[in-house]
Amino acid sequence: MSRPLPYSDPAHLAAHQFLVEEAALLDAADYQGWLDLITEDIRYVMPVRVTTARGAPASNGMGHFDEDMYALRKRVKRLATDHAWTEDPPSRTRHFVTNVRTFRAGPDELRVESALLLFRSRGDTREADLISAGRADLLRETSGGLMLARREITVDEAVLRTQNLAVFL
Amino acid sequence: MTMIDLAAVVSQVRRGMIPAHVYGDPEIFALERDRLFSRSWVFLAHESEIPDPGDYVVRRVLTDSFIVVRDEAGTIHVMFNMCLHRGMQVCRAELGNASHFRCPYHAWTYRNDGRLAGLPFHEDAYGGEDGFARKDQRLLPAPAMDTYRGLIFISLDPAAPKLRDYLGDFAFYLDFYVNQSPAGIELRGPQRWRVKANWKIGAENFAGDSYHTPHTHASVVEIGLFREPKASKRKEGALYQAGPGAGTTYKLPPGGDFASQLRYVGYPDAMIPAISQTWSDQQKALVEDSGFMVSAATLFPNLSLVHNWPQIDDRGTVRPFISLRQWQPVSERETEVLSWFAVDAAAPEEFKRDSYKAYLMCFGISGMFEQDDVENWVSITDMATGSMARRLNLNSRMGLTSDGKPVKPPIAAFAGPGVAYQGFGEYGQRHWLSQWSDHLEREPAPKQATDLGVAR
Repeated sequence: MSRPLPYSDPAHLAAHQFLVEEAALLDAADYQGWLDLITEDIRYVMPVRVTTARGAPASNGMGHFDEDMYALRKRVKRLATDHAWTEDPPSRTRHFVTNVRTFRAGPDELRVESALLLFRSRGDTREADLISAGRADLLRETSGGLMLARREITVDEAVLRTQNLAVFL
Repeated sequence: MTMIDLAAVVSQVRRGMIPAHVYGDPEIFALERDRLFSRSWVFLAHESEIPDPGDYVVRRVLTDSFIVVRDEAGTIHVMFNMCLHRGMQVCRAELGNASHFRCPYHAWTYRNDGRLAGLPFHEDAYGGEDGFARKDQRLLPAPAMDTYRGLIFISLDPAAPKLRDYLGDFAFYLDFYVNQSPAGIELRGPQRWRVKANWKIGAENFAGDSYHTPHTHASVVEIGLFREPKASKRKEGALYQAGPGAGTTYKLPPGGDFASQLRYVGYPDAMIPAISQTWSDQQKALVEDSGFMVSAATLFPNLSLVHNWPQIDDRGTVRPFISLRQWQPVSERETEVLSWFAVDAAAPEEFKRDSYKAYLMCFGISGMFEQDDVENWVSITDMATGSMARRLNLNSRMGLTSDGKPVKPPIAAFAGPGVAYQGFGEYGQRHWLSQWSDHLEREPAPKQATDLGVAR
């Protein structure tokens, strides 16, 4: 892996700003606005993490997400109905994005790694949930600005402690 | 000292009235641990998860951890994950491949068939075989282990009936999910997550709650995830109860032959000959003559299954998926959900990929069905933990008249075993609760402790 771009590099600054603006859309539940940042050929994946001896690489073949644009649009459309009970009343979320590192991946693509801490609070009696994850994104430079073309979410728990993933990471 | 009147609880449950506190009561949970999970067959894993010698997964029954492992000769063992010496957890990974398991504490080492292979300083520390007889010692096996079509179950009761005998007439329905070709199924997963819900709620829901679909799952219909407005079709489905299981079905379009009905739910032509050869005439008759296709089901106590067929792309391609899921109790108000994707191992790769996509959109932690289910179940559990819930018996009598007769007679021309009703009714939930009541009424079996390595 090449070295990350300097933090002063305009491409890094643009990528960092993209992630912060994206988080603002997600926390505002502006999912249509979020979809507008995503390319038609998106692949949005979140593999299940497993506990192995000596951390040996292993997979049980399963993901929490493995989405294309069709699936993401359906999810967003669902949340906009009057019957998506799990987000009505909506969760209060805060996407904390940090540890951003940007790599040049091609003439018009950036690979961007970041750390994400999602705080999710529902209702008034339940304890809040935290989901900690790393993200590896492919951002594409288009005429309309940067767009998300691929995201792989590396969640830090093998057993998640949130009632569902009706939220995006 | 127990505070609840168990006989009163059970007698209410048996008349279809459920004391609401059973969904959040630590005393009930202790009874379930001691009287139900100490005896019942409980699903642990599928053989396809451990295909090669040395492959293992670690799974629990409540808090008891078990290593499910295939030994060098290919035989599957299920053993309690506790070192014979000081009780350390021998295997702390959840999956992997190992010829031996070595305890981190004092390095006692076990072969992957459970036999004790070595302990350090045997001669110095124990005076050799006289102090500790190594021969024939092994990690404590599950009291009973049995398999059905690659599904591995254990029971903590050494006197448990044979698994096939336990499954009884439910095996007929289970086979729709796990026996579509001679290759059997293969699994991906599980996804694992903890929800603040009582474990019984999901188990009961899958056993027969077609009534929640039109409302709880209205959103997935509104967004066109299905070819047709399925929610209103739900009441045309049959609800069956058979052996230790119960489930729901969808009514298929009229007039189709067997192959066209399989095509309707999205099975490609490449799979239909094998399905046709594998399913019995009676199973095919359920599809072709009775006109029903299995959907959700629960095998008592906590293994559920689901089969559904959404549209997976903008072209309207319909593909079915199968999921196995376990409601693993953590406490009276918390459950770990384990959700697997299952598919015919002989299916074309393209179908496996499409079916997996169909699963992820609908079920599992991100599934658009499951999201709303769990929201309900968490809220029920929240409401069930207080004192007001002890003043309310929930009405679970749907489908019964005041004198306890079915509102409608069973379906006469239903090709499957057991009994089946068309339309809404809580037959499956009561069937599940009746078994739950049977277990809770029985005194716990005495447990026999084992000495190991002691000179006889």
